[in-house]
Amino acid sequence: MFRMWWNKRAITPVLSNVLLMVIAVAGMSIAITATYVITGNLHDTMGERFVAEDVWFRSGSIAIYLRNTGKMPIDAAAVYVDHTMQLFTPLHLDPLEHGWLNMTFTWTASTVYHIKIVTSRGTQVADYYRSPT
Amino acid sequence: MRTIIGRQHSLIRNRRGLSNIIVVVLSFVILLVIVSNVILWSYQMNQLDWEKMEEAPNVSSVARMTRSSWFVTQSEYRVNKGGRTSGSFIDTQIVDGSYESFREASPPRELDINDTFSIDLAAFPQAYIQSVEIQLQYRVDDTGEKWFLKAFNWTSRTYSDSGFNSTIGHTPISGWNTYAVNLTGKWHSYVWNDGKVLVKVHDQGPDSTRTNIDINFLGVRAIINGTTLTIQNKGAYTAHLVSIWVNNSTVHKRYDADVFVNSGETFSYQLVDIPLPNGQYALKVVTERGNTAVYAAG
Repeated sequence: MFRMWWNKRAITPVLSNVLLMVIAVAGMSIAITATYVITGNLHDTMGERFVAEDVWFRSGSIAIYLRNTGKMPIDAAAVYVDHTMQLFTPLHLDPLEHGWLNMTFTWTASTVYHIKIVTSRGTQVADYYRSPT
Repeated sequence: MRTIIGRQHSLIRNRRGLSNIIVVVLSFVILLVIVSNVILWSYQMNQLDWEKMEEAPNVSSVARMTRSSWFVTQSEYRVNKGGRTSGSFIDTQIVDGSYESFREASPPRELDINDTFSIDLAAFPQAYIQSVEIQLQYRVDDTGEKWFLKAFNWTSRTYSDSGFNSTIGHTPISGWNTYAVNLTGKWHSYVWNDGKVLVKVHDQGPDSTRTNIDINFLGVRAIINGTTLTIQNKGAYTAHLVSIWVNNSTVHKRYDADVFVNSGETFSYQLVDIPLPNGQYALKVVTERGNTAVYAAG
């Protein structure tokens, strides 16, 4: 027992192998995590779909009814009217959810507006809408 | 054999290419993760887009629905005074040439019959019923006396016509007569919670003639303010309608929907809870995949 304790002839190769293994596992873990993070973002962005069911020009505001038709939750990050960002109430929609996105906007009658909604991942829905007379 | 075993041993001992193999295998694993995560997901989303493109809902007509279908008796009439001479209750279910005949009793020469009618409250919930209508189509051989329609008042526990739009009865002419009464806003007293309505037909009272009456039709229906949509699915995929919008210049009103229309089918959708506005309006249906069909009216 005592002799075996003091015999250190095989210790170095074992240590080096273990260290190499730890380094390899750590490297692979980092690589796989990075892959997941990079492809995960791509995956989430690709899974976003939503439609504007209705656009309602109300007094001093425009209400847009959105439906999440995709496979990922969405958050409205920006709303543009004629390429100008507008203030709006925050909206989060899980898949298949729907709800109103209200924004304050003073519109004029019988005018065509280009309205664009952008999500936090960058997906956009844009179209032209004519205000009522 | 010895040579083979010897080479196997030397291969196991020789580790010069092992790290390369491990790197390649692990890289392959990473590639596999990327492929499965991105390419397969992309395939799924492409399929979603493809399905959306292939879906083609169309609203071909929109009509105001003011009446439910008729609800007719499903059992034989109970004859309280007088007697049955021919036919059966089935002959009173639709307006056609067949009828059920009754005859007043020998003096005092009266007829009194009643039966149960059931309004389908699952299809026409009480909350959306505005009133109830009872209609009788009949023929008599004595036009000298009036005929009355009454319903069982569940509050007063008697047959009554209190609150009906007409309580004076109906004076027949020769040939077929149509007599209809509206229960107005008092219909709640005459319809039980399960939609049951008990209707009575009786004559004016004792007279000198023993009258024969032929009943061609007797039915009950609800008066409502709803909408009937006709939706066509011209696409290759089943359309799941999830929203119905009724928009006019002042109000945009959304209603939840849950209707599946098969590919190539036309579906008539009765909505008792959607009143149509007067004047110009647009009715929109939206599918779960995000397609919209619009019908402009007015």
